[in-house]
Amino acid sequence: MSAATDTTDQPVAPPRPGLLSRLLRDPGAAISLVMVILLIGAAVFAPWLAPTDPYDNDLTKAMQPPGSEGLPLGADAQGRDLITRLLFGLRVSLSMGFAAVAIGGSIGAVLGFLAAFYQRWLDGPIMRLMDMLLSFPAILVGLAIAAIFGPGLVSVVIALSVATVPLMARIVRGSALVVMRLDFIEAARATGMTDGRLIFRHLAPNCLSAIFVFVTLRFGQVILLGSALSFLGLGAQPPIPELGAMASEGRNFLFFAPHIAVVPCAVIFLIVLAFNVLGDALRDALDPRLRF
Amino acid sequence: MIRTTIGAAALALAAALPMQQAAAQANPRNTLQILRALDSDNYDPPRSTARAASEVLYMMSDTLVSLDWDMATVRPGLAERWSVSEDGKTYTFHLRRDVTFCDGKPFTARDVVFTINRWLDPATRSPVRWRAGPVKEIRAVDDYTVEYELTAPYGELLYQLSLSFASIVDQATVERLGPNFGVQGFNGTGPYCWVSWTPRQDMVLQRHPRYNWGPPIYQNPAPQVDRVVWRLIPESQTRIAALQTGQGDITQYIPHIAVQQLRRMPNIRMSTQESYFWDYFIGFKVDKPVVSDPVIRRAINLGVNRPALVQATFFGAATPMRGYLNPNVSGYDSAASELVPQFNADEARRVLDAGGWVAGSDGVRVKDGQRATFVVYGSQGEANRQMLESMQADLRRIGIEMRIQLWDGTVVWGRLATQEFDAFIMSYPYVTASDAFSLYFASQNRPTPNRMNWVDATTDEALVQSRTAVDPAVRAEAIARAQRIIAENNVWLPLAHEQLWVASAQRVEGVRAHGIYGAALYKGLDIRLTR
Repeated sequence: MSAATDTTDQPVAPPRPGLLSRLLRDPGAAISLVMVILLIGAAVFAPWLAPTDPYDNDLTKAMQPPGSEGLPLGADAQGRDLITRLLFGLRVSLSMGFAAVAIGGSIGAVLGFLAAFYQRWLDGPIMRLMDMLLSFPAILVGLAIAAIFGPGLVSVVIALSVATVPLMARIVRGSALVVMRLDFIEAARATGMTDGRLIFRHLAPNCLSAIFVFVTLRFGQVILLGSALSFLGLGAQPPIPELGAMASEGRNFLFFAPHIAVVPCAVIFLIVLAFNVLGDALRDALDPRLRF
Repeated sequence: MIRTTIGAAALALAAALPMQQAAAQANPRNTLQILRALDSDNYDPPRSTARAASEVLYMMSDTLVSLDWDMATVRPGLAERWSVSEDGKTYTFHLRRDVTFCDGKPFTARDVVFTINRWLDPATRSPVRWRAGPVKEIRAVDDYTVEYELTAPYGELLYQLSLSFASIVDQATVERLGPNFGVQGFNGTGPYCWVSWTPRQDMVLQRHPRYNWGPPIYQNPAPQVDRVVWRLIPESQTRIAALQTGQGDITQYIPHIAVQQLRRMPNIRMSTQESYFWDYFIGFKVDKPVVSDPVIRRAINLGVNRPALVQATFFGAATPMRGYLNPNVSGYDSAASELVPQFNADEARRVLDAGGWVAGSDGVRVKDGQRATFVVYGSQGEANRQMLESMQADLRRIGIEMRIQLWDGTVVWGRLATQEFDAFIMSYPYVTASDAFSLYFASQNRPTPNRMNWVDATTDEALVQSRTAVDPAVRAEAIARAQRIIAENNVWLPLAHEQLWVASAQRVEGVRAHGIYGAALYKGLDIRLTR
């Protein structure tokens, strides 16, 4: 498309700043974005950043407090460097969150689009099913799944996905219903577009901002829930470092070596905070009513 | 040193914070508050194997015989004396004549006959029925004489009759309450009587006013405290804080890491027991791939640094096991302990190399296409996790992969009854060597508690002989033989002898840790409160 057609097609408006610059105008958002990038970077490069092997213990160093020689954050009850464990724990926790949001989110989005697009036949059944899923607390779903498949990361990811599906379906259905009423959908339909093409070319892209915001916010919640399940012993099994499991392990030594529990909890706090602030800022940045 | 200071400061802080609250709800006079971590699902002697049931049953009821502090000498209980026939098959118990139940009803030989028969009755479905021995008949010769006749000699009998499962109960109450006996009420001859039970909260007992027939191991034959409350505080840190602030008087459920700290606290008294038999071990399913290879089991025994692992898990509150049993237990064989491999990682690698297990690309050894990997099951708990994680790291260094799967307390027993795992971690109490080994290594005890699937005719024969031989020397020789067979085959990886510690507040006197079947307070007769 040429520049000439652009100017003729669209009403004259001041050039809108890009999403990123709109986002970065909020200092909180800027900080959280940097933090998210750092956390993800730390997780991805954990094997290169970690000073030691995450599984190799040295019982002579068990529970060394932060600031001990060679152990800036101290050592856990097995005498493993807490920095190494944190880096790998971050990896496990973040991938657990990504997997759950990706799986649960995709299923939820597909169901949401179907419910909105085929409102007459599918809306009722799909949304009642989602209501049913919503009525189970995620922790309970996690307990049930761990009882069936045995505790482990796979069980946690399944539980978190199941808990994410109905939320995503509701969000997607809501915004899809709004888009469905717009004229261009009718226009596209009039051109004889197939349903699938209509959904993917026109409906989905117009719901993306809602999905994007939800995914970011949900990611923080999922990490927190996943850590809670691991804390209860349903998630990562030893020796896999997972932030919730690490906190659970340290809980027994809270009076004697508080760093073992406090450090992973602080990291969980940072992750959840960063993703929540970022999600909030994204919502503001993407909201057309707040645009200028 | 720094850690100690921080720990002490944290404890002091924890103690100081709820102090005002504690002063407001100070303990009632002459009520002993016992703190514990778990409750039982019922308090019917033959129907629960939980320590949480036993520890209360010892206070609510009595057994025919009692066990001394050395865990070996049998002392009088409800029976003031007894005799054993020449052939070892008939035990005659002469009962005390001054005993009454909590409801005032006099205790007679009929109650003993009823209790033992109920224990044996298949309808009772007692999981510990075997402990009563091969009974032929229980007879009341007169009101105060009972004959316990067996089909074969059973050297363990007196020890078994000292356990809470053999607590004498009242027939009328059992029949009145039916399946709710031990749930809604109880009637025994013990020093304390049932008042109320709120599951997972507390169990309230009050002094049995006529009781003065306590075992001779106590200075006082009668209870010294008016009321006893068994209170449940599941969280260990909270439990210890409650003890320090005077909201509780006594507990044996001390987190291992706190034992040494509590010993240094001026306002806490600690009592321990040398002859305490509660061990942690790992058992291997000898018919599963990988762990079925004796080379692997020997290498695991050689490759695990037990002393380091036990220190890191129990912080001095447990002793690394040298052999399969506590050296203080009757029937212990030191020659068998010599056969148990001690930590030597180089030797472990040599054994594996010689056995054909060669290092694979990922560091895990392989033999005939089989990777040296196995799954261990256990219940979730701090000690289990700590020990398994240390062990996992040790085994990784010699090229064996151990995968850990810990289960919640509600499902673990079901899982441990399956054949889906290769090894399991467990801890258990025992009274004698023959008691412990008959439980775990007899082939008829598959699939549980013989989860190792250990089937060996020689072991079975030695175990039967260790229980039934009339000559004590033959019994001792037989149980020693069984211990050597098991040790040579490395059926277990013995881990730790747990120590028994009882912490009590300043106002409590006369505490002495006993530890029968894990119950530290036993009858608690000498315990008194100063204010």
